[in-house]
Amino acid sequence: MPNHVTEHELKDRLSLIESMIAEGRRNTESWGWTFVLWGVVYYLAIAWSAWNHSAWAWPVTILIGVIVTIVVASLKAGNHPRTTLGRAIGSIWIALGISMCLIFLALGLSGRLTDQHLFVAVISAILGMANGASALILRWKVQFACAVVWWVAAVATCFGTDEHSMIVFLVAIFLCQIVFGIYGAIAEARERKQRGPIHA
Amino acid sequence: MPDLPELNPVVHGRLRLALLSLLTSVEEAEFTWLRAKTEATDGNLGAQLFKLEEARYVVVKKKFVLRKPQTRYRITETGRRALTEYVQALKQLLGPAIDG
Repeated sequence: MPNHVTEHELKDRLSLIESMIAEGRRNTESWGWTFVLWGVVYYLAIAWSAWNHSAWAWPVTILIGVIVTIVVASLKAGNHPRTTLGRAIGSIWIALGISMCLIFLALGLSGRLTDQHLFVAVISAILGMANGASALILRWKVQFACAVVWWVAAVATCFGTDEHSMIVFLVAIFLCQIVFGIYGAIAEARERKQRGPIHA
Repeated sequence: MPDLPELNPVVHGRLRLALLSLLTSVEEAEFTWLRAKTEATDGNLGAQLFKLEEARYVVVKKKFVLRKPQTRYRITETGRRALTEYVQALKQLLGPAIDG
């Protein structure tokens, strides 16, 4: 070992590297609020379309939801670093947003958004896919349970009456958006609180 | 007896080492995030980042987000390689003492 560097100093450098890498990998982003927001967006779209059967209800509410999400996410992003994991998860949800915007805008404008069973099946399957992919990347069992709920809803809505289909959809939104979103926000807040101050 | 490796002096500085380690775990990071994680002063942090930039271990990108200036840093392949070689040299120097 070189004379001018002590063993203690070398060990200190090694532990510094380990602690800083671990610090950088900590997920500091909070996304629980987006699930709650989108739960509210779906409920508003359902209420609007039930009120006057407008073809614009879904495209317009989803578009507003996308804009609100982008603005709030930009404001909340602050100085958080960009990580590969964050980009992977973000990509899934951005792709989902674009797919939903396009498909519901096209279906709404063409006047073909008429079969409620098909509509609920498609939206539930898309949400099941996004939740499932995100859960598998994050190895998050609770989110995978949400994906299962969406997939069950997608299949269940193909059978039964219009009323049954709507009940299945409303329950899935409540469990996978509102309850899961609040649970996620609480878990994120608890993690931040436990972390405490960081020392370099 | 095998030759003992030399420690790269650019990487060895405590704050520079912390910065390279932080940057290796993210795609890119903002100046204020690096400052919060290292608890360094603006002047010291800027000076050490400049040394890393001079050594081509990091690249800097300046832009405006919501009308606010942002300075983002990203580790280069050269920087990543230098850090890996530094860790290997450390382990070689510490030898059996590494688990102690």
